[in-house]
Formats: sequence, C-alpha cells, structure tokens
Amino acid sequence: MVKLKLLRMKKIFQYTICLVALALPFAGSAQKQASPYDMTINGVKVIVQPSGNDIVVIQTIIKGGVQNYPASKAGIENLAINALTECGTLKDDKNSFKDKLDKVSAQVGGGSGMDFASFSLNCIKSDFDEVWPLYTDALTSPRFDPKEFDRIKQDAINNLRASESSPDNAINKLAKQTAFAGTNYAKEPQGTVASITALTPAETKKYWQSIFTRSRMVIVVVADLDKATIEQKVKALLSKVPAGAPFVEQKKSYTPAANSFKEEQRANATNYVRGIASGPLPGSPDYNAFSLAMSIFASRHFLEVRSKHGLSYAPQAWFSGGTTPYANLSVTTTEPDKYIAVARGLIDKVKKEGFTEDELKNEKTGFLTGIYYRNETNEAQAASLASNEVLHGNWKRSIQIKEDVDKVTLQQLNSVFNKYINNITWVYQGDPKKVTPTMYTQKETPKMPEEKKAF
Amino acid sequence: MNKTLFVAAMLATSVTAFSQPRLPDNYYWQKLDNGLEVVVIENHKVPLATIEIAVKNGAYTEGPEYSGLSHLFEHMFFKANKDYPDQEKFIKRTEELGMIWNGTTGDERVNYFFTFDKDSLDAGLKFMNAAIRFPIYRTEDMQKERPVVDGEFQRAESDPYFQLWITVGKKVWGDLFTRKNPIGDHDIINSATPEKMMVIKDKYYFPNNSLLVITGDVKPAEAFAKAKAIFGDWASSGFNPHEKYPIPEFKPIEKTEYFIKESPIAQTPYVMYVWQGPDTRKDSIGTLAADVFSTVLGLNSSKWQQALVDKGLASYAGISYQTAAHVGPVQIFAVPNPGKLKEFTTEVTNQVSHFADADYFTDEQLQTAKDILRRNFIRANEKPSALSSTLTFWWCSASLDYYTDYMKSLMDVTREDIQNYLKKYIIGKPYVAGMIINEDMNKQLKVDEFFKN
Repeated sequence: MVKLKLLRMKKIFQYTICLVALALPFAGSAQKQASPYDMTINGVKVIVQPSGNDIVVIQTIIKGGVQNYPASKAGIENLAINALTECGTLKDDKNSFKDKLDKVSAQVGGGSGMDFASFSLNCIKSDFDEVWPLYTDALTSPRFDPKEFDRIKQDAINNLRASESSPDNAINKLAKQTAFAGTNYAKEPQGTVASITALTPAETKKYWQSIFTRSRMVIVVVADLDKATIEQKVKALLSKVPAGAPFVEQKKSYTPAANSFKEEQRANATNYVRGIASGPLPGSPDYNAFSLAMSIFASRHFLEVRSKHGLSYAPQAWFSGGTTPYANLSVTTTEPDKYIAVARGLIDKVKKEGFTEDELKNEKTGFLTGIYYRNETNEAQAASLASNEVLHGNWKRSIQIKEDVDKVTLQQLNSVFNKYINNITWVYQGDPKKVTPTMYTQKETPKMPEEKKAF
Repeated sequence: MNKTLFVAAMLATSVTAFSQPRLPDNYYWQKLDNGLEVVVIENHKVPLATIEIAVKNGAYTEGPEYSGLSHLFEHMFFKANKDYPDQEKFIKRTEELGMIWNGTTGDERVNYFFTFDKDSLDAGLKFMNAAIRFPIYRTEDMQKERPVVDGEFQRAESDPYFQLWITVGKKVWGDLFTRKNPIGDHDIINSATPEKMMVIKDKYYFPNNSLLVITGDVKPAEAFAKAKAIFGDWASSGFNPHEKYPIPEFKPIEKTEYFIKESPIAQTPYVMYVWQGPDTRKDSIGTLAADVFSTVLGLNSSKWQQALVDKGLASYAGISYQTAAHVGPVQIFAVPNPGKLKEFTTEVTNQVSHFADADYFTDEQLQTAKDILRRNFIRANEKPSALSSTLTFWWCSASLDYYTDYMKSLMDVTREDIQNYLKKYIIGKPYVAGMIINEDMNKQLKVDEFFKN
C-alpha cells in the first residue's frame, strides 16, 4: 500500500532493468487485439502479437544471461548492450545517434538479466520507418567508441554504487550471493566495481559479437504491422547476423540442505530480512501450481505479519521462476525475532492444514485479473511472450494461462507447497543486536519472544 | 455512443445540471446532487474495471500536530468498516473479487483504487462505498497500524535519496514543511488516536471534496447509474473544506543555502538543488513552461546534458517540476561522478546562470521537446488502469480542464513563456542545495571547500 508521490523519482535507476524472471503470461489477446502468431526467419523464431494501438514494440532477445560469462566478467553483457546506443554506430557518432532518437522520442535500449538480454525498440507507429534503421544499426554495427566507452564505464560504476546504497538492492544481492554461491545465479548482471573497471572496449565488442548470433535469438513484435513488412525487415536484419553455435539454456534447481542465517551490519533505519527457498523448474508440471500457491501464501503472509501483528509495512512473498527457480520471503521490521516466529508458524500451519478450496477459487480469479493488469502495455506483453519462450520454450503459455490455471487442484497446491518450502537460506541487514540467529536456523519452529518489560 | 448525445442524455436524466468540464474523447462527467464528481473513462482494451476515489487531502492540509496522519488515515481505510469489520474480512473480500487494490498519499491528493473483473463493478463500488463512508477506527487496530506506517517511513529513511530530499525540504519550506511531507513525523504517527482520524474524516471525507473515476470495460450510462445508486445518499458537508480550513501560503526561501549531509549508506554522492516554482492557482502558464523547459534539458543535444553527462561530470543530471496547486518545487537531481565533483558543481552553477540566455536552446530543440511531450502523452494513455490516477492527480492539483487542455497548452508554450518562468522562479532567486555523501569521501574530496554559496 502506498507509494508516496514524492518517491516517484529517480530516472537514474531505470538502468537496473529487471528482466521478468517469473514468466508471467498475459492471458491471450485482449479484446481489441488480433491473434498472435509466429514464424521462423533464417532459423530465428519471430513472435508477433498485433497490438490494436499506435505503439510499436520490438524486442530482440539474446538467451543465456549469467550463463554467458564467468564471474570475473560480470557486467560485460549489460555494458555491451548499453554501448549499442551510447557509443555510436558506424553511421552515427553517439550524439548524432541519440539526437535522431530524441527527434522522434523513440526509446531504444535494453539490458541483461539472469536468464536473457533484451534490446527493445518502442516508438509511435508513424515513426517506425525512421527508428528501425537506427535500431538495426545499433545491433549490427556498433562503434564501441573508446572515449564514450570510458564514460559509460564510469557511469556503470557510479550506478553500481548508487544501487548498493538502496537497501532493497543490497539485501537482494546479499541473498543471491549467499544462496547461490559458486553457481551462475551468484553472478551480478550489473557486475562489480572490479569486473567493470577491468573491461576494455575491444573486449566488450568482441564479447557482443560472440553472443549476437541467430542461435541465441528470439524476436518479439507487438505492433500493428503487416506480416510481409515484418518478414522483410527482420530478414534484412538477420542477413547481417552470424548463425553461431547451437545454444541451449541450462536449468538448475536450488534446494538448500539446511536452514541458514547470515547477518550484516548496515546503518538502515530498519532491518531487512530475506529468505530463499526452493521452487519448481520452468516447464515442469509443478510450475503453475507453485505460482498459485506462493501467491496465496503471500496474502496469508501479509495478513499474519502486517494485519494481525503489525510487524512490517512490506511483508512480501513471491516466486522467482527463472532458470534457477526459487521462492522468496521478504520483510522490513524493527522486530526480526517476532517476525520469524510468525512466518515460520505460518509455514507450519499451511503445511499441516493446507490451503482451502475457497482460497484456490479466489486465487484463480485474482490471478487472471493480475495478468490482464500487468500486461496492459505492448512492452509488458512483449516481455511476457519473450520470457515464456526462453524459459518454458513455449510463448503460447502466455495466452493459454486461463485454461492452465483452471486445471490446478487443491491437492496439487498443497503438494507443491510441501515439496518446495522446506529449508530456507535467510539473510539479514540492519542491527545484528536485534536478531537471534538460532530462531531462523533451528529445526523446530521458534516460539514468539516474550515482550520485554520497560523497567 | 456519440459523446454529445451521451452527455445530453445524461443531463436530461440528472436532477441538477452543472456546467460540463472539457474532457478527452471517451471520458464522461457527471456531478451528483451531493457534489460528488464522477468521471467514466470507457476503454475496452482488457476486460477489467478500475474504480478510484480521490480526496483533496494530504500533506498540504497538515499542520505539525497532524503531520503524516492523512497517510495513516489512508492505511486505516483498508482496515475495517461497517461491512467488513476487520482487515481479515476486508482482505478476504478483495480476494473473492480477485481485486488489485492500493492507495497513495501525496502532497495534495489521497487516492484509493481497486481493479477487478469488469463483471464485478457493482460489487466493487459497494466495497468502495463501505470503506470510504463507514470506516471503523479502533484503538487496537491503530496500535497495530502505527508501526506499519512508521515502518514505511523507516524504509524510506534507509534510502539516501530520501534522506537528502527531506533535509532539503525542511530548508525550502521552513515552518510549513509538514505541508510538503506526506510521510510525516514519527512521534505524531506513533501517538495517533481514533479521535484524530475522525477529525480528518469530518474535515475532508465528503462527496463534495472527492472525485470518483470508473475506468475500463464498462458502459458509461450503466456506470453512472450504479455510482448514483450507491454514492447518491452520501451527505455533502455543506461547506468547502478548503475555504473553511484554508491552506497557508508558503513563505519564499529567504536566502540561498548549501549543506552537506554525511551518511554511511551513501556509497556515491547525490546532489539536489531546489527552488520554489509556479503553481496552477497563480501561474498556469508558468507550470506549463516548466514542463517544457525540463524536457528541453533532457535532450541529449541540450547544453545541460552536453556539459554534464556527455562530458562525464555526472551519470545522471535532470531537472523536474512537480505540478502543484500550492507552489510546486523545481528540482535538479544529479548523480555526479565522484572523481569530478568540483567540476560538476561549478558547471551546474554556470549552466543555471545561462538558463535564460536567448541562445540557451534552439527553436529546433524547443520543437523536439514538445514532440517528445506529445508522444509521451500517447504512451501515458496506453495502460487503462492507470488513467484514473492520472486524472485524479490533475483534478486535485489543477482542474479537469487543465488536464484536457494540457497537451494543446504545452504546444502553445513560447520561448518568451519559458524565459518568464526562468526569470520569475530560477535566475537570481534563492535556492537550497544539498549533497549526501559518506564520511570518507567527504573528507577525501574536501567538499565543503567548493560546495558552498
């Protein structure tokens, strides 16, 4: 509840593009939209969703994400994608390129996340013929001008530090690095100060050329453009892109062997707690049921932690359904010991008593509202098609969700919650004196701590 | 339905005819006899309906003894009412309706909004009606909600941007800072009582101080009929709250002031400069000129971006104006390059001193900025569920006519309008400049030697 308008700010943080890890569907064509279709051009799948409006969104997806580079090179993919629009093309220097985009208020740019990178075009349909050549130039003939590269490298370092100043980003980073230590998911797509500092324009350019191959690509178009136009333009683009070696995105489960707790002193005004548990792989039969289960659990978590006990403004629980899927519990609180007693008590109760038929019925209704709500824009629809294609190998999942969700039974719901919500990796930033780590790690559920007397 | 015919039909069936505000296509307006304005925005993109009630309340109505309580009141809206007497029942009902719900509190608006399946419009309106008209404030509920609201405050305080914003704000708005600070004061929040909630309700929560917007896959005539049936017996206060409880005028900033705030969580410095700008009551053209000028400065080709971002003095440097009915702030916010902090601050001062120069921007840049605003407006209208909040913001801080004419008025802004705005509010005018930085960096860079007036 409540995002104060005063905090509606900070354009600077737009660079932290968070590619949707949970492949959220958008429930089929909305009423004004024609049916989506796909076609294969030069070996690349092109997914088209007619939009019913004047906005054109095209996303070029490069599969792999953190699987594409070693930890020592973390950040290279994001920097390379940023360089596509910030370091000029063979035809235009950086200023000329950006001024041309400004003239038509086109948004061209992208970022790389855990599982894939996305380079997007968003323009008004009447400007498309002017913007498309700039978009393809950026992809196929980036200049990687060394002076501009130095500038964006420094910006990337400044932005990393700014991002680390944000307590939400800081706890997120600590949680991932703790839970996924030694695996691909411990890598930070934005990199580290050390990894970014070491990158050169030549190396970054070479890296871009190595991943920008047809074998890693998917193209998504959400626009009212006719099929022949799309085919002709995409064909011309792909004629300049090498085939590349076959690429298969790896999927890897996360299952913590025991409860664990890691704390860090941080001068926050409150304490940040994050827990990470297991989750089903994309494409597995448990996936939809677990998505619903976590959504219902999130409501119960909110009710218990905030409404009944007043322990937090922002108790949250959600499922991150990427190539390493995991469940999240998150809270900011001045009473972390009370929180863990309430949260673990709630998990026990759900495991013992299960969810109810009413909850499942309501969740199915709410889930559908949420899907329409989150996918009212072309940009969101393109992201949904892309993530379902990359993670599930099936973009049509985006439009079949109503049928898929209707099939989930109460028994499946309870079964998946029991299967995946077991041991939890907890991390904590704030005042270590306020927390009792054993309450997080002990096998049995801790009791609610007694109120301390004021005298 | 043809809009003219529709409006005529509506007026014919309404008990009292009010003058119609100007509205965009597919927007329809009616005022009920109790003073409640209702707007229906017909949009069939997705099979959802969004309802929103906005109230002219928020920080600007708060003296020190109520600082943050419009916000606490907004939280209590979601707690308990005559139909759903505790939050568990309240939330269960939202789940039954598959509803997405939220509320916000700003300087000049408090709004509550629900999105649900289009077939639940009647149920959704009844749910809204129970919450806005018949809330229950129990001491026990408030005791639980106070730490929640304070927790939201503490989350904000953990962010260096907020720490900088609030310190600058205290200096810009002086004794009246509470009227620009919706998050409020810890002590006031933590000692709030049900009686104080009732004081807010009895001052501001009336149909004649509220706007109901129904947006989405709905039929306007049906939506108006439901609104009238459900909200028609909500009694008017019989007074204009803003005449009865007038908002005091802000005093101008007396003199330019610089400050440095050390914070261990600021891993890289942030810088902010704030002036008191125009408002929609007294200088509507100034507010529009501010928006156009801010967009000009966002252009890659602008002198501002070229001097600061292109040259690597800052990763980000933007100027913005927040439209308000009661003195909107003009704010420069930047993430400077720590290695070039001195050059950055010198260059900002230099650039600001040239803002009003005849050649500071070209005619082509002015036109490009307007084109950007026009295209952004198309994009802003893409998401149906967001249309209500956009409209209510303008209703609270300007007017429906201002919103409807906004794009055309921006296109009419001249170079002279922008110069007038700059000369009246920025050039040579006192401002507050603040920097948040960690202790080590501050010592190493000796910021106080150059970040000063």
